[in-house]
Amino acid sequence: MSLYHNCEGTTRRNCLKLGLGGIVGSGLVDMLRLRGRAASEGSSSSAKAKSCILIWLDGGPTHYETFDPKPDAPAEIRGEFDPIDTKIPGVQFSQHLKRLSAIADKFSVIRSIRHNHGNHGAGNHYMMTGAPTRIPVGCGAFVSFHPSLGSVTAFHRKSNNGLPPYFTIPRMSRSGGPNFLGAKHAPFVVADDPNRKDFRVRDVALPKALAEDRFTSRKELRNLVDRMARINEPAAGDPVRSLDEYYRQGYDLISSKEAQLAFDIHSESDEVRESYGRNSFGQRALLGRRLVEAGVPFVTLYEGGWDHHRQLFDALNKRLPSWDTTVATLIEDLELRGLLESTLVVVLGEFGRTPKINSDAGRDHWSNAMSVLMAGAGTPGGTIVGATDPRGYAAVERVLSPENFASTIYRKLGIDPDRILYTPQGRPVHIVSDPTPIDELMG
Amino acid sequence: MKTLARLSFLLVIAPFVQGTCAAGSIELTASPAEVVLSGRDARQQIVVTATTGGQQIDVTRDVKFRSDTPGVFSIDSAGILTGIGDGEGTVTVKHQGKTISAPVRVSDSHKPREVDFELDILPVLTRAGCNAGACHGKARGQNGFQLSLLGFDPEFDYDALTSEARGRRVFLARPDQSLLLRKPIGDVPHGGGRKLQPDGYGHRLLRRWIVSGMPRRQSDGLTLERISVFPSSRIMSHDAGQQVLVTAHYSDDSSRDVTHLSAFQSNEGAIAEVDENGLIQTSHITGEAAIMARYMGHIAVCEVSVPLEEKWAADRFAKLPTQNYIDEHVWKKLQRLGIQPSSPAADHKFLRRASIDIIGRIPTTEEAREFLGDDSLDKREKLIDRLLEQPEFAEHWANKWADLLRPNPYRVGMKAVLNYDAWIRDSFRQNKPYDQFVKELLTAQGSTFQEGAVTLFRDRRSPDELTTIVSQLFLGIRLECAKCHHHPFEVWGQDDFYSFAAYFARIGRKGKGLSPPISGSEEIIYTSDSGSVRHPLTGDVLPPRPLFGDAPKLAEDHDPRIALANWMTSPENTYFVQVQANRVWADLMGRGLVEPVDDLRATNPPSNGPLLTALGEDFRYSRYDLKSLIRRIANSYVYGLSSTTNKYNEADTRNYSRRYRQRMRAEVLLDSVCQVTGVRESFDAMPPGSSAKEIWTHRVESLFLDAFGRPDPNQDPPCERTSESTVVQTLHLMNSENLYRKVANDLGLAALLASSERSSRDIIEELYLATYSRFPQDKEYEIASALFEESPSSRRQATEDLLWALLNTPEFIFKD
Repeated sequence: MSLYHNCEGTTRRNCLKLGLGGIVGSGLVDMLRLRGRAASEGSSSSAKAKSCILIWLDGGPTHYETFDPKPDAPAEIRGEFDPIDTKIPGVQFSQHLKRLSAIADKFSVIRSIRHNHGNHGAGNHYMMTGAPTRIPVGCGAFVSFHPSLGSVTAFHRKSNNGLPPYFTIPRMSRSGGPNFLGAKHAPFVVADDPNRKDFRVRDVALPKALAEDRFTSRKELRNLVDRMARINEPAAGDPVRSLDEYYRQGYDLISSKEAQLAFDIHSESDEVRESYGRNSFGQRALLGRRLVEAGVPFVTLYEGGWDHHRQLFDALNKRLPSWDTTVATLIEDLELRGLLESTLVVVLGEFGRTPKINSDAGRDHWSNAMSVLMAGAGTPGGTIVGATDPRGYAAVERVLSPENFASTIYRKLGIDPDRILYTPQGRPVHIVSDPTPIDELMG
Repeated sequence: MKTLARLSFLLVIAPFVQGTCAAGSIELTASPAEVVLSGRDARQQIVVTATTGGQQIDVTRDVKFRSDTPGVFSIDSAGILTGIGDGEGTVTVKHQGKTISAPVRVSDSHKPREVDFELDILPVLTRAGCNAGACHGKARGQNGFQLSLLGFDPEFDYDALTSEARGRRVFLARPDQSLLLRKPIGDVPHGGGRKLQPDGYGHRLLRRWIVSGMPRRQSDGLTLERISVFPSSRIMSHDAGQQVLVTAHYSDDSSRDVTHLSAFQSNEGAIAEVDENGLIQTSHITGEAAIMARYMGHIAVCEVSVPLEEKWAADRFAKLPTQNYIDEHVWKKLQRLGIQPSSPAADHKFLRRASIDIIGRIPTTEEAREFLGDDSLDKREKLIDRLLEQPEFAEHWANKWADLLRPNPYRVGMKAVLNYDAWIRDSFRQNKPYDQFVKELLTAQGSTFQEGAVTLFRDRRSPDELTTIVSQLFLGIRLECAKCHHHPFEVWGQDDFYSFAAYFARIGRKGKGLSPPISGSEEIIYTSDSGSVRHPLTGDVLPPRPLFGDAPKLAEDHDPRIALANWMTSPENTYFVQVQANRVWADLMGRGLVEPVDDLRATNPPSNGPLLTALGEDFRYSRYDLKSLIRRIANSYVYGLSSTTNKYNEADTRNYSRRYRQRMRAEVLLDSVCQVTGVRESFDAMPPGSSAKEIWTHRVESLFLDAFGRPDPNQDPPCERTSESTVVQTLHLMNSENLYRKVANDLGLAALLASSERSSRDIIEELYLATYSRFPQDKEYEIASALFEESPSSRRQATEDLLWALLNTPEFIFKD
């Protein structure tokens, strides 16, 4: 409730403006945090990935019906779907992944990430942050003990064209927040559906009924009526000055042609829009590509409804074909535009699903095995990392952890996962406790 | 013999009888005044103080040191004296033509000595950072080598060094092949880089320890009892230096200079920084700082004060107006620092400030007119009394407490959260005494379907989860660290944590527990006959014990929580009243006397200790009456100061010489926007007409509240919310459809004014009163009139535009 300290620390901008840390902060801790920051900036020169698009399949997608079919397992495990061959000899995916199978040489699949957090709250946290939850949490939990992949990226990387560095579409994911890094590193949420005719990005676009010239005159009027005295002495830490800065940024974003263009999905040809799929997910993926083109470092596409405890096959018969189209189109389109070299695409959920099909024709939570897709930013094409046993119970070859997964993403983005960040309490925290990336994917 | 050998290492510092030499206006003093060094590697930092005109200045780095007897000891330019050969001698100190000397006695300088793991080796590892939280001290260790954090568990560390890694870390047969010696000097690749100088002090000590067979403890059982710092307090100039001297005191009354093995930190780095060698450096900013020295879990503090050099007339501060004891304490502090306070704020600012603080919204146009037109002398006092009686008072303050207490309904269930919220609100509506509020909460029993307060125990299910929230919220003691390791800045260890947790060991739960995401079932919280808490390392069952003071007696059939609540609210427990007084003070004054507001500890001292003590006592004396605490603060002269700075207090952000601006918190801002525009918000799960501060769960959707910050109900420990600005907020105020509609609403303020018979001048006046609680100034009439003249055809548009512009300025958004 007070101005100067909170769980999320001192206003970064204040600190930077003031040139040294402690003025508005609490001595050592802020100095440590600032030193950490000073060291962290400019660390991304060798980065392969300028941007990352993370497609989150919330609920935990089945590995059997996607990238890790088990045709030789008994029927109660194998399920209703058949495997199909992919472009990579000897590698099969499940039957609905037709488009992805055809371009399997453009991405890698990891079949051997496992952890032991088989509920949504904890699983989401582990995969979204690379850190397990500190205390046991339940399925319904929306918890944050550690900054998310997106927020850490936002902390390290600036965006271009006045755009925020971290977007999440269409909603905040459970553990996708900034935790101790502070509200500035929270994602910018685009809740509106880009598949709608009247799609516009909330708050960045002017209100529908407001003409642009009227906004301009309002802006001028605001400058005239704003007569509150600012305290110029930097050491005073006048919070009004940081508000000024955020108004300036806000105006920049509104008036940035590049930014507005990035949001203007209507400027895409019908052909392109169709190719992504004329549905919410398809158009969000297209919006994600546009944001990456405009220089946004991190975009999360949050895709709900993958918690198939019941009627899994019916649900996936409906869902997978269009989903397959969207993901494959995204990868191809990025490649076509020369963006795949600098854009990392990641597809995953919180865990895999149980081997035995349950009495409701569904599969339950299973964190002993899961499949994760990675493409772009130097990720070799056609590589399958690790394997589960013949019945898909558990990762058995090249067993990897969420920490390895998170470290891979950070390394590709040029962020050192071994870097130490300081919480406002002065507690040192490694970005990832085990900074070892998955070598096979580093290219 | 062993005892002698042990003692021979120790260095005895004579009592601080200062060797002085008064000549002219400068007087030099060396500390310690007499140096006695025993044993190989014994050393002593000398600090030289020049006293001139009553001011003490550290000149250690400016003076010339000389050993008059180079065969006995050497001394470097930093004033570090090292024994060379047995004998007696003198050290001479020269500065600006003045000379003083101090006797030095060195003995046993070649005597072999025995090294003790706890007293000698752990300090070296700690100082080199080996067991820091970022290195081998973290919970999973680093590259397979784990030490306890900052050496809190010597047993564990001893095993890690001597038994693990197949004996490669220490290698008795060939000591120099030990990884413990090779890694830290970078002789073999070391992820942490070079941490010790080859053959330096620490490295030699480690080697000697290995050669002597890696003794765990010496037989004399000598223990470290405390540390002290010199100076313990000092008034310093701007941009000046001061060397700190840290002395360790042992159970046999001996002591050692451990400055070179200590860690230092400042609580106000902007005012006084301290480097790793204990050298304090002040900046150009006036104020105070506490410099903490830490050595093997012991802590000592040097208080530094950096006043303005301005010379004020002796009665200048005595003449400042004083409305109650708060002013006296603040003026005393400002006098010590030479800082002049700002002048009082204008009436409209005071009105706005008090309304926001006490009832959580800005004044209405009518309220503003009435207050501004009131000529009575006691109108501020009457305003405060009136505000405290508004029903909105309870909603506003309950909303603040709900921030700290309320859990996620997906975790504990909607009904439990709703009942909890109702209990909190009801407590504030009754103006329940704070001690009673806390007692009822801590000892709550019954059904989650009936007793709101038991939700705390539905949400926090283990004694350790309860320990962290209860100690932080109600005592301002953060025990989180001590759950897993000794608190690095404090006295609390795992013993303390789990003994405290034992008060919650006998909480029984019946019915269905958590079953997220609905968790809709009923659960009964009761006192169970059994239950205990064990120490995680020793496995011992720990009886309930308070953090300090006397343990209240427990009857067998008694709920231990009652004993805990009694102890927490007892008059001896100053933490209890001070953390709440500090929280309220921070809300009203823009900054806590202690920051973060619930982190009270010796190493994070209040910016005005006597004031915090007085506020706490006042709060207790008023029988824990929140309203009387608020009334006291709001009636002080200091509360009414302007935020406008003078040239002396610009950089003051801690001593309340001026008003510190705050952005309105989310609910207050939203309720104020609704009030100004005349268009209410409609919330799900709330009756029509509800205000934002009446919302009972953060899961009620509101883009506005999300943008301006609501706490994450999953944060553990609970979090004071952030008041920082972000671009998301400014975009929302500028562009959101919701705000646009409020401004443009046909039944809203702008529409009503525009369609009325009133003149444009009247409209302008109304808008300024509604948003800023003041009349426009001439210049402002001029600006706004031009707007109305430009587009006479659209009064409505001009009114809307002006309203939009005013809502988007800091004078509206901030509490000034």
